[in-house]
Amino acid sequence: MLSRVADSVFWMARYLERTDNILRLLRTDYIAAQDELLDYDWQLLIDTFGDDTPENKLTVSSYREALQHLVLHRQHDYSIFTNIVRVRENARSVQDYITKELWQSLNDFFHTIRNPETENLILHNDPVTALDILLRESIIFYGTVDTTMSRGEGYTFLNLGKYIERCLQTLDILEFKRKQMVKAENEAVHWKYLLYALSGYEFHTKAYRNSLHDKEVIHQVLYNAQFPHSVIYSLAQMDRYFQRLEDFSQPEHFKEINNIIKMMAESVQTYQKKEYVAVIDQLIPDLRLQFANLNQRLSTLYFGNS
Amino acid sequence: MPFSKFLANYHESPHTWDEMCAHGEIRAHYKLFLESLEKASMVDLIHKDDLAKKLFMSQGITFTVYSDGEGIEKIFPFDIIPRIITAVEWTHIEAGIKQRLRALNLFLKDIYHEQAIVKDKIIPASMIQSCPYFLKEMVGVDVPFDIYTHISGIDLIRDSDGSYYVLEDNLRTPSGVSYMLENRNMTYRLFPGLLPKNNVRSVKDYPDLLLKNLLALSNRQVSNPTVVLLTPGIFNSAYFEHTTLARLMGVELVEGKDLVVHDFKVYMKTTAGLKQVDVIYRRVDDEFLDPLVFNPTSMLGVSGLYYAYRKGNVSIINAPGNGVADDKAVYTFVPAMIKYYLKEEPILKTVPTYYMDNREHFDHVFGQIRKMVIKKTNGSGGYGMLMGHASSDQEIEDYKVEVQKDPRQFIAQPMIQLSSVPCFIDGKIQPRHVDLRPFALYGPSGIEIVPGGLTRVALKEGSLVVNSSQGGGSKDTWVLG
Repeated sequence: MLSRVADSVFWMARYLERTDNILRLLRTDYIAAQDELLDYDWQLLIDTFGDDTPENKLTVSSYREALQHLVLHRQHDYSIFTNIVRVRENARSVQDYITKELWQSLNDFFHTIRNPETENLILHNDPVTALDILLRESIIFYGTVDTTMSRGEGYTFLNLGKYIERCLQTLDILEFKRKQMVKAENEAVHWKYLLYALSGYEFHTKAYRNSLHDKEVIHQVLYNAQFPHSVIYSLAQMDRYFQRLEDFSQPEHFKEINNIIKMMAESVQTYQKKEYVAVIDQLIPDLRLQFANLNQRLSTLYFGNS
Repeated sequence: MPFSKFLANYHESPHTWDEMCAHGEIRAHYKLFLESLEKASMVDLIHKDDLAKKLFMSQGITFTVYSDGEGIEKIFPFDIIPRIITAVEWTHIEAGIKQRLRALNLFLKDIYHEQAIVKDKIIPASMIQSCPYFLKEMVGVDVPFDIYTHISGIDLIRDSDGSYYVLEDNLRTPSGVSYMLENRNMTYRLFPGLLPKNNVRSVKDYPDLLLKNLLALSNRQVSNPTVVLLTPGIFNSAYFEHTTLARLMGVELVEGKDLVVHDFKVYMKTTAGLKQVDVIYRRVDDEFLDPLVFNPTSMLGVSGLYYAYRKGNVSIINAPGNGVADDKAVYTFVPAMIKYYLKEEPILKTVPTYYMDNREHFDHVFGQIRKMVIKKTNGSGGYGMLMGHASSDQEIEDYKVEVQKDPRQFIAQPMIQLSSVPCFIDGKIQPRHVDLRPFALYGPSGIEIVPGGLTRVALKEGSLVVNSSQGGGSKDTWVLG
């Protein structure tokens, strides 16, 4: 397939996955702030997931302001709105390649976030309803991919993008929750909301049958191969999809990327042998660096960017 | 008036051929359609109108106007009432377009080779030399199967007596065919059952016919030639059409930056390395095709493409340089071409045309400017036109100054009162002026025209400007079997 098309499909999937993860985090944390974490630090959320360049740094005084900024803002580089515009622009440039149904689902997503009712819900009514409506659109996207896309190269790059982004988002959200814990009186509650944000709380109660020990939460988030938002699961999926490219790739290109992905999985296995909580602060920056390298090499070898 | 529930506000304009009514009577070919509306109310039509808008929006059949970094989505206005053309009329149109395209192709081959038509003084040499679309780089170049105009959209209008005139031959990169296809898709959603009931001929074959031709034009002896559609990119107003056609044909949609020329062969950059391209259906204008030969600032083209083409290693569809045949000044010579090359009488009429670089014509035109339209010979989209009846004295004076600066770039034609058809506007069925652009495909096995085309509508009451950039819309076009 065309390198440009592969690039766009890859980024379309990354922006969509980012959107999905941030929406889940916002939904979880908004509900937490309403009912349990009454002193929720919205500024910390903005500082972590908003634009952190000094000239664009924003001070927020209310939760609605934070949500407005992170969801609806039209110029803000990190907002859900901008992400969806990017998803759609990427999809538009490969509109002949993705299925018509997929294009329509993204187009609907775009029209949903532009719908004045969405803004009204976030600014004046129940933001959870708005976030649910948006999350439903992303679920429709994944369902449409699953039922309509052929299992060729495009599907593979789409999934590669999806799982790279998912892994990075899990790391970001884990780091963010760690920052929240530093300031908190009750650490455990933040572990719970970490699991909620990653759609993993129910899984935890069933798989670990315990009252939220930090080590077990970390195990689930980093090392549990059955948990679809865990680091190890995402890496395994990246590996699985990348293997499908072998027949479509130049052998030396395949080999190089394959090595990078395998090394990432190995380094996570090495971390698993160490002390769980203390190792997080090393693992997160280390993996991010490896991801940066992976992205850069994919871009050069597969997407035709120099 | 029969069908008064719907047609109470339908008033035929004087001196206009109305395609539905003749002196208050409904023409036979519209009766079945109107009868099928009998059970509907005006409110039903309003709902259909809303449904059409929603469907266009959700399917992303839109064009984007960019401002402040955020795209504003607009839909190309669509009128729900189909325009109906009888089988007899279509036979006439089809024969006329085929005849015209055969002549235009022979003209293009001639003009880039022997130039017999010039030597025989049928067309003045100056007319060709001064045409900006004449490409000296194409002189002496043999093109596959001698076909220059593989895809064309011929604009037809009907005068007050109902006869068909050719208004323009769009031979370079004519657009609108995706709207022909999408408008039809809309009709079966809005009027279930009516297409078969009226025995409307299908336009669905278009992408298959186009692909068949593109594959047949490959020069390389391979079982499965690689065809691509070259687009200027997502900011082009016809981008939706490019994606639609690429998808329907199952070919790659490429941009200039996806292609590279190596050793006079064209390749596309894929994830698995370079892959040779055999046929390029380009939607990029001649001048942007190859920065090494044409416009050096072009970012849309591919360096070296022209030489790959000259070597016969890639087919470019439509052929570069064919714009010399759709120049508005050359247009008047088409009847002469038909007689010269084919020894036939022209089937379709041509609008009388005056040259602004001819002093007598100039005086004649400005003497009765209220009845005239002046156009740029290389203009499109309805821009840069002067419509005498709708312009102020000052506008006419200003335009005259422009014309005098470079008279070769302008022609004038008497105002033709385009025919009118019923449209559903502001909750009422009213007549509006239309033209018709059927799309013709010229391949090695001959010329094929899918029965239909794009009907463009001047949505403003009384207006004769149908261009989408100037308040025009479109509607489905039914050719009856």
